Amino acid sequence: MTVTAVTAVTRPTGPEREPTADAARPAARRRTTRVPVTVLASFGVVALVVAWSVAPGLFTTHDPAAGVPADLFQSPSAAHWFGTDHLGRDLFSRVVHGTASSVSSALVAVAIGVVVGGLIGLVGGFLGGLVDSVLARFVDVLLAIPSFLLAVVIVSALGFETINAAIATGVSAVAVFARVMRSEVLKTRSAVFVEASLLLGGSRWHVLLRHVLPNASRSVLQLAVLQFGLSILVIAGLAFLGYGDPPPASDWGLLVSVGKDYPLAPWLVWAPALVTIATVLSVNRISRWLRTTD
Amino acid sequence: MSSDYARYAVRRVLQAAVVVLLAYVFTFVVISVLPGDPVSNTLRNPENGFTEDEITRIIAYYGLDQPVYVQLWESLTRFLSGDLGVSLRSNLPVSQMLGDVLPSTLRLAGTALVVAVVLAFALAFAVQYLPPRLGQVLRSFPSLFLSVPNFIVGLLLLQVFSFQLGLFRVIDSETPLATFVAAVALGIPVSAQIAEVLIANLDHESRQEYAAVARSRGLGRVRLFWKHLLKPSSLPVVTVIALTVGELLGGSLITEAIFGRAGVGSLVQRSVSTQDLPVLQAVVALAAVVFVVVNLLADLLYPLLDPRVRLDGGRRTGSTTPTTDPVRPQREVVAP
Amino acid sequence: MAPHDRLTTTLPRPRVAAPPRTLLEVEDLSVAYGGHEVVSGVGFSLARGESLALIGESGSGKSTIARALLRLLPAGVGRAAGRVSFDGREVLGLPERQFRPLRGREIGFVPQDPSSSLNAVRTIGRQAEEAAALLDEPDARARTRAVLDTFAQVGLDDPQRVYDSYPHQLSGGMLQRVLVGLAVLPRPALLVADEPTSALDVTIQKRILDLLTELRGTLDISLLLITHDLAVAAERADSLLVLKDGRVQEQGRTASVFAAPASSYTRRLRADVPALNPDRYADLRAVGGGRLAAATGGPKIEVDAVSKTFGDVRAVDDVSFGVEAGTTHALVGESGSGKTTAIRLLLGLDQPDEGRILVAGDELQGRSGASLRAVRRHLQLVYQNPFTSLDPTWRVERLVREPLDRFKVGDKAERRERVREALRSVGLAEHLVRRRPAALSGGQRQRVAIARALVLRPDVIVLDEPTSALDVTVQADIVEVLLRLQAELGLTYVFVSHDLALVRQLAHTVSVMQRGRVVEQGPVAEIFDAPREAYTRSLLDSLPTGLEGPLAT
Repeated sequence: MTVTAVTAVTRPTGPEREPTADAARPAARRRTTRVPVTVLASFGVVALVVAWSVAPGLFTTHDPAAGVPADLFQSPSAAHWFGTDHLGRDLFSRVVHGTASSVSSALVAVAIGVVVGGLIGLVGGFLGGLVDSVLARFVDVLLAIPSFLLAVVIVSALGFETINAAIATGVSAVAVFARVMRSEVLKTRSAVFVEASLLLGGSRWHVLLRHVLPNASRSVLQLAVLQFGLSILVIAGLAFLGYGDPPPASDWGLLVSVGKDYPLAPWLVWAPALVTIATVLSVNRISRWLRTTD
Repeated sequence: MSSDYARYAVRRVLQAAVVVLLAYVFTFVVISVLPGDPVSNTLRNPENGFTEDEITRIIAYYGLDQPVYVQLWESLTRFLSGDLGVSLRSNLPVSQMLGDVLPSTLRLAGTALVVAVVLAFALAFAVQYLPPRLGQVLRSFPSLFLSVPNFIVGLLLLQVFSFQLGLFRVIDSETPLATFVAAVALGIPVSAQIAEVLIANLDHESRQEYAAVARSRGLGRVRLFWKHLLKPSSLPVVTVIALTVGELLGGSLITEAIFGRAGVGSLVQRSVSTQDLPVLQAVVALAAVVFVVVNLLADLLYPLLDPRVRLDGGRRTGSTTPTTDPVRPQREVVAP
Repeated sequence: MAPHDRLTTTLPRPRVAAPPRTLLEVEDLSVAYGGHEVVSGVGFSLARGESLALIGESGSGKSTIARALLRLLPAGVGRAAGRVSFDGREVLGLPERQFRPLRGREIGFVPQDPSSSLNAVRTIGRQAEEAAALLDEPDARARTRAVLDTFAQVGLDDPQRVYDSYPHQLSGGMLQRVLVGLAVLPRPALLVADEPTSALDVTIQKRILDLLTELRGTLDISLLLITHDLAVAAERADSLLVLKDGRVQEQGRTASVFAAPASSYTRRLRADVPALNPDRYADLRAVGGGRLAAATGGPKIEVDAVSKTFGDVRAVDDVSFGVEAGTTHALVGESGSGKTTAIRLLLGLDQPDEGRILVAGDELQGRSGASLRAVRRHLQLVYQNPFTSLDPTWRVERLVREPLDRFKVGDKAERRERVREALRSVGLAEHLVRRRPAALSGGQRQRVAIARALVLRPDVIVLDEPTSALDVTVQADIVEVLLRLQAELGLTYVFVSHDLALVRQLAHTVSVMQRGRVVEQGPVAEIFDAPREAYTRSLLDSLPTGLEGPLAT
């Protein structure tokens, strides 16, 4: 479930080709300013999800917590887009109101990963030597513990709440960010333009802040987007196992977990599942698009 | 080469040992930041039925009356001597509890790994061979499956194979068929990762100059794939596969919960809900050992498989994906 | 040539009676990449046993034409239209299944960069067997023998060792011999060589070209040579075809095209090739020459018995040279000669193990960071490759201003003025200052790099192969800018190059380096007219001379 960023790291990004390459692939290299339709659609989905989490009240008039006993297990209809659950609560409303904690907790997780992992990678890669070796072993340790298991252990240490699940997910993502940041820093640090800047009188700090960081941040941004999608999945997984906020909270993973006990009302599983899939798919599509345009 | 390889191997083995020890320490620290005192709370919970004598003995055993660093030291020395401690809940040795559930999880994870690798190679092959239009559709599979929570995959398979087709019952979760279906659920997201890297590598390799030159020697696409592209594309995948072992172990938590399997995952879940810390500590240590050993093997194997890798003074250099952008006059080698 | 005789006698190429005289006929060939046309309406013909050179700079479409002929354009992206007939048979429209037997067997291909043209994870032998499989020879051992014989024929000393090696275990020159061998092994009627030497050192370049010329004669192969170098083309081909932006500028027999170019582009190309125009910048260069003659006192730069070792490699071994103020000193050598290490020592990027380096009489070693920084202000470097030496995230204005910001020169307005002045002096248009490097051409980027070096108004500029990544016409512009700046501002240059012809055009004194040592040094005119060392002579002999070469004699 938790995907290490191997794909992002091993993807060959090669240096810019020389002008000698008048054969192979000028067309593939040409900058396309037009954004593909699927990417536009993905931005649309993400925008909608963000809107749900900011102002759920605008999208649904049903109370997510109040059930109507007469309306148990209604299948999806015009009145209840995603149907109703075992207490007669409107599932669409529950999904919309559950967005905030499902999505914003993923943001918290990514923020932790970017800040902590980025810093570790930046310091290790830039200073090198003993500091780098020590930090590298620490990152190896984080990597050696399966990240979902690590998240479970951390959340069980901190207590079963969604925010703790987010922190746990963030900690388990630190290693990936540290690795990518470090390799980017190493790559940039040995770049000719960095040596040029040192020759032109640039200090180490100047080089770090003005040259190394901007160049490395591109890959880290792209990884952050990818990791955002993954964090949604991990947090949903934790919620599915009951390690998030308890009901009546309506995190997407929790909705699926509760819904699976009612096989005669399959929409209770599929509605929140499809929302999760659409969100993560859109985020991944945007990440992929960022990777191809820089 | 061989003395370089020996130095490289020794270095990697030492690193691996250090990482396992640090992983143990790290887990200990994380668990001991727990607010409150879950151990004595658990012990003194009348439902658990410990006698005062036993409580004193267990507290002394874990050194809970000692400062944290002493506890850590003692826990670590016990771990090194192979003693994983005693469960706070069942009063059984943790090693025995793990021994009971480990075979089930190893069967599941092992089958899932095979499923993942086979699926990934099949998909990568299909992408290269099927007509471009169909290949394009298949190309989107990895990213699609990376976007689906694995509990959804599990629930779907369970729905189809157990409830609809009635091929197995959740009660008999250890039958070969049930294991296979659970392994597919666990393996699909992992195979998506492997396939993504493999497809990207194949694309990369097929764009390399040597591929065009090989075709200029009259090679067709099929022979080009088998003789030229497959090996350089799949070598880096060895490393990726080793990395996914962690995910198989982590993912088995959810898969075992869905398919009702009594494996390490469900043991973890029970231990989390009962705050059975020695069990959690042992499971994390075990997972770290498995991960580190598998990755160590992959790293030791890699230089033997890939002739491009050079081992200078015990460090691995040389690129794994050939970076072959031509720079017209070769730049002087400044440092060796 | 015994092995070769055996091959031709046992493996005769089946031939129809009285083959047509024209082997390859291209008419109205156009190639588009994803809707963007890169080759338009190109036509030419190549007679059996003849050679034709396609000449052009980057973006001219010359390599695209080669790939279109072999039908190796990137699948799904590149589309070719027009007519190509090979041996009297239209091949552009053939289904892949019918075209494939022609590849290797009838049309051989020699690629540009040998180091990336063989599969790195397979032995050379296994890849060579693919070419040998095209011989109609059922016996596997005979095929292997054919491979080994061919390796010997292309001048590889130890064929069996080459056969068992992986590509990274051989040098670029050896790999290119392997590739030439694999291309000729199945005895094709046509050999397409796409810049077969541009990734190689000059002396090796000449040997590979000699090999191609020789094989052409002994094996009766027609040659389609693709090159950016007019001099090489004129020396090696019977006919020339000059391309620019995917269109034919002119074509004809070598003698007429080369001696009396009809198109203005060909005339420009001919004028810009250093090897053909040693005195092109005589006037500008004379200014520095005058300074050299009038030199009094100590030289501006003095490198005294400097050595540097990396591991077991003695990269620079007892190197000494001096540069007078306002003149250009060139370090010339092939890869691995130590010339780049020498200038890194000069710039203080590496520390020498032995020896002294003096800049304007001040010793460079043992300085603190701050005083080294002060020296560097007057000692600037222009890198070889403008594609890696400029931060891709910065804009031109900021790139050129960076040194001023770092050394805190003047106020904001003054800095802006000096940036503008530096850009003007390298001839870079005003509207480009807001662009990032990716939006500039190679020549524009190198101008930015030079402006960056100039903006601090240094005394000395070290130029590390500043034009080797650029096209010849762009190179000519850059060289002119450099010489003009020297004449106007009295700059001192240390110029590193592998290109002797270029050195002859612009330098005043020269040190020829080989394996870390200076083998010969002195004024350019002396060294070039009367080289004392065999190595220098071999470098000079490697220079293509256009028609004065074999064809003229």
